[in-house]
Amino acid sequence: MQAHILDRIRNIEDLPTLPSVALEVLSLAHQIDVSIQSIAECIHRDPPLAAKVLRMSNSAFYRRGDRKIETLHHAIIFLGLAQIINITTSLSVFSALKSRKAQEVSIRENFWDHSVATGLIARYIDKKLSMRSMGREFVAGLLHDIGKIILDQYFHEEFIAAYNMSLDKDMSMYETEMEVCGTNHMEVGYYVAKKWNLPDYLGDVILWHHQPSQAAHRDMAALISIANLLAKAKEMSCGGDRMSFILSDQEAWQVLKERGYAVEALDIERITFEMETIGDQVKHYIDTVMEPAEAEKANG
Amino acid sequence: MDESLSGTCPKMTDETFILLRDFIYEQSGIYFADNKKGQLENRLAMRLKVNNLLDYDKYYYLLKYDPQAGRELRALFDSVTTNETSFFRSPPQIQAFQEKVLPEIITRKDKQHDRMIRFWSAGCSTGEEPYTMGIVIRQVLNDKHANWDIKIVASDISEKALHSAKAAMYSDYSLRAVAPEIKQLFFTPDGNSYRIIEDVRNLVDLQYLNLNDAKRVQIMKGFDVIFCRNVLIYFDDEARKRFVSQLYNSLNHGGYLFIGHSESLHNISRAFKLVHFPGALGYKKE
Repeated sequence: MQAHILDRIRNIEDLPTLPSVALEVLSLAHQIDVSIQSIAECIHRDPPLAAKVLRMSNSAFYRRGDRKIETLHHAIIFLGLAQIINITTSLSVFSALKSRKAQEVSIRENFWDHSVATGLIARYIDKKLSMRSMGREFVAGLLHDIGKIILDQYFHEEFIAAYNMSLDKDMSMYETEMEVCGTNHMEVGYYVAKKWNLPDYLGDVILWHHQPSQAAHRDMAALISIANLLAKAKEMSCGGDRMSFILSDQEAWQVLKERGYAVEALDIERITFEMETIGDQVKHYIDTVMEPAEAEKANG
Repeated sequence: MDESLSGTCPKMTDETFILLRDFIYEQSGIYFADNKKGQLENRLAMRLKVNNLLDYDKYYYLLKYDPQAGRELRALFDSVTTNETSFFRSPPQIQAFQEKVLPEIITRKDKQHDRMIRFWSAGCSTGEEPYTMGIVIRQVLNDKHANWDIKIVASDISEKALHSAKAAMYSDYSLRAVAPEIKQLFFTPDGNSYRIIEDVRNLVDLQYLNLNDAKRVQIMKGFDVIFCRNVLIYFDDEARKRFVSQLYNSLNHGGYLFIGHSESLHNISRAFKLVHFPGALGYKKE
């Protein structure tokens, strides 16, 4: 039975779907000379999404300068098309995978905290290393673990068993998932990313964030791999694992070094100390993404 | 801090906080995270008063450009370090010691049939740190402790502090982070105080040592774990580099060094491997 979980996922009919507008934006993004107008029009066809994109564009997280962005058209001009696509992707996946039962006791409580923290740390290190990932690193951080949500939702018992095993044996979640489920959150997440037609770099990061040297987008996978570890070191973890690690011994570290990034010059201690306030930033991001009513419900 | 004083205290702007924070980090390796602005403000309020300065900007300029800045720097360091010490201080570090470091060392030594583990609390003050180490070691080894040869060398430059460490009597306040079951197992009430039990006292070897005395420090050898928390700030840059390389030599291969929870060795030593534990950093000699 165990070996077939991935097959069973393929046959699940009510697997979460992305809003059709999001799928369209993603496919427009693949075109070479897509116009601002066509993207704006496309997003406008989903008014709640359009409102959220506008709200995100004006949040401290994306906003540049003091000027308030009034229209999607302006948002695309000010933030750039790439960033609008990043925002749309994040928001769509976030709403597609949001917990269905609000009070459910599971890894979901910490899932988005960990994901947002990973995205924020990736963004921070991207800047430090001048990697110029153009905001895609945040999306990648946000989505690297989506396979866990699917496992948790459809194979809850097995997933919780893997979770408990990782706590008991001090093993990584992907190892215990393999033992209990015969697959892991990387494979499951990759399957969903393909199904949703997410950009290649995302599928790549989702599949290889624990073995970044295997990835086609090695730089990005390595960046997320490191951000993932640092998020856990800040106890922003969504698996049970309380692992310790030596960053400079990690595969991801070697990848970045080989790719010519000045990792040796990074002041990792300082970066770690700076992450002390990551919890506040995570909360701020999640509050911005959620509808005011949703946020109220979650807090109350 | 005195209430009446805090009322008249100038506020530190975010910009000045960043300037001072970066300056302190550069000079001492101690980092004040964004949420520690109030703490830094409180700690430096007295320095402003002593120097007759009206705001933190002027204090920053004094540190940065005044020819007398060297002397002020000492006073600044004294203000930013908390001299107070307590049991189980910086819990994530103690947890890393308990859950990761000790089990790793014990497993390795077990395989090598090596029964000796040596610890050093460098700058042990009144003894809370070495006795905390002792309690944790006893907990981890549990009923197997008799099989092991354990010693915690605890050194300090203050005879007075060592004297107090030897008495091993502590107030409720220094036991505030101690769990009730640990209090019951490892302390004996004595009037208004608590005394560490003899079994743990016997693990600790108190010694007078000036960490600036390179010759004396050089003979400190064969340690598996060193705690040297919030001590480096008392050295100038050159002495700090020398001392940390001595600490490296004092450690066995596979040994760990813990420094203060917001202290960094980034500009001091590249010899160690930086280890991330949940919520804490450590330095490993491979």
